Amino acid sequence: MLAFGEVQTGLLQNSTALSRERALQALNFVTGESVRHSARPIAHAVSADRLDSVDCLLPTASRGHIRGVGTLASHATIVGGQVAQGSTYATILPSAENRRMPWSHYLAGHGQIETIGKYRRADLMTGLLRPDPDESTLDTSAITGRMLDTIQRSASLDRRPPLRAPRTRLRWVASLNDGATAATAPGEAFTVVTDELRTLRLTVRGEDLDAVVALCEDLALHDWLLTTLLSILDTALTSNRSRNQKTERLRPAVDHLLHLWMPAARIPEELLPVWEALERHPGFSRQWDASVARIRDQVTMSTLALLESPTD
Amino acid sequence: MTAAQSSTGYAETTAETKFEQAPLAHLSVELGHLYMEDFTLGFDHLVEHFGRVAPWSAAARTLTKERWGVKEPRVSTCFLIDDYFARLGDPKDIIDLVMEAADKAGLTIDYIARESGCALADGVDLGRLVSDRLVADPTPSTNGSRPPTNKTGWLCNGRRSPDAAAAPAMSFGSWEAPEQNAKNRHSIFLDVELWDGRGPERRWSLPFLAAIWQLLRLGLLRYDGRLVARPQDAGDYSDDWSELPAVMRMNPNAEPFSAYHTFSVLDSRFLEIEHATRVILSQVQIQKQIARQIESRSLGERVALPKEIVNRIEYLILNA
Repeated sequence: MLAFGEVQTGLLQNSTALSRERALQALNFVTGESVRHSARPIAHAVSADRLDSVDCLLPTASRGHIRGVGTLASHATIVGGQVAQGSTYATILPSAENRRMPWSHYLAGHGQIETIGKYRRADLMTGLLRPDPDESTLDTSAITGRMLDTIQRSASLDRRPPLRAPRTRLRWVASLNDGATAATAPGEAFTVVTDELRTLRLTVRGEDLDAVVALCEDLALHDWLLTTLLSILDTALTSNRSRNQKTERLRPAVDHLLHLWMPAARIPEELLPVWEALERHPGFSRQWDASVARIRDQVTMSTLALLESPTD
Repeated sequence: MTAAQSSTGYAETTAETKFEQAPLAHLSVELGHLYMEDFTLGFDHLVEHFGRVAPWSAAARTLTKERWGVKEPRVSTCFLIDDYFARLGDPKDIIDLVMEAADKAGLTIDYIARESGCALADGVDLGRLVSDRLVADPTPSTNGSRPPTNKTGWLCNGRRSPDAAAAPAMSFGSWEAPEQNAKNRHSIFLDVELWDGRGPERRWSLPFLAAIWQLLRLGLLRYDGRLVARPQDAGDYSDDWSELPAVMRMNPNAEPFSAYHTFSVLDSRFLEIEHATRVILSQVQIQKQIARQIESRSLGERVALPKEIVNRIEYLILNA
């Protein structure tokens, strides 16, 4: 089974961590369908899925034409009351009758796109990861962006975020129920394409699409945390200011981000090898820990300087 | 989405909504869907109506055995009274009239439902519940770049004619035809008004209420996982229609109200309504947990269940 999706991650536009109650309110935009939430190991709330209908060309590497008809599912999440995500996913399968069916046929599926016309799988998988798809082709980023916007524009937020942190996007493709390998070859899977776009290719043995989506959301979250932290560090430490002022610039990171690092907290065991591979290369936690250590060193030095300064 | 399944088996109860199960009959048979004008025609007119319906109701029951190889089919009957668009007389009088007329024609009505109950059932806003779940039939070249435009209160099955006012360059007399999305060589384009009015004053249209009615009969609606419009025993009738339950159980021995399939005997004047209802139902997203729940029940009972909601609904259209 072929699946794909995108996760966009950003700082929740609220001055403080959102309480559980307000987070549930912000995510409760589908009548009669509750928000799913768990408190451990870290507060995590997910909205109901919303479906977007499409009938359009799918992007391919070769720029060939395949028509896809069906729906993409998206939902929004709030993690630790601080980080918001929009997440879209769909499976792709060939249409049994190779024609456009009545819409009721497509609504019998949930986040399923049927293709009309022939294609090579590899061509489509690469196409779905293209940073520059042709204009009329499937626009997964627009759908995902709108889902994240839905949260960020919620009346439950005060729209005064404690720091500036751009969104990042993770576009992923996965081959499920694929007996070939248990986990992708590390290093080739995860690619930083631009400042804000990352791509991920996965091959998993199991069929649990929800687990794959959760994995991608978790990866996207930690990639965003790391990207944001590195950016804050870079801005703070390269600025031409006193040590105290530099340390002050690191404060938002300490207050809002450091406690959120909890890789693979909600991932089922069979997908852990994917995280483990990424920990080996490029080594998320290693980079994170190094950055956190740097921040702590800055704070320590700053404190020492304060203690050593002459008092009246 | 499953909560993280660790080897210690930790899970949090709020992570997953529990979906209540509705008891299910094999078939729900609608014996009539009547309006004030029908009641004013009097008792004999009602008896005539039920007399027309009776043989088809019996046939549906027999065929349930043959079609699905069910030895003892669970079949329930229902009747819908319009208290939404019309001012009706005293509930007790009308309900008694209907029950007597059916009895005279040899029919048992298991459940009587109010049309208003399809909009607001025992405090639950079913109109919003279903309107929030509309997923539009996309026209070709719908790629997700722009948000879906479902807010106008209309729903169609294809691409509308371009708005002449919005395209003044179009010369007089030129008209671009609308186009049905899944047309079979030629288009049958349908545009249905779902509601008029604004905000809390929304007044749902008949096809939209009829769509909700079918979804209730198919057991496909839940609010936060809980059943809606649960049938309640008739009890003492209030003199206010809005105080009656949305669905009233008239026969204490009735099979369940909801069923895998529905069958309705309709007067031909409802043909357009039902076409519109079908276009609406083709664009309603059923929560996947509910769909799976019913699917696994049907597998357990070996009842063939079409994947598409609209294929679980059958009609007989008769002339008066």
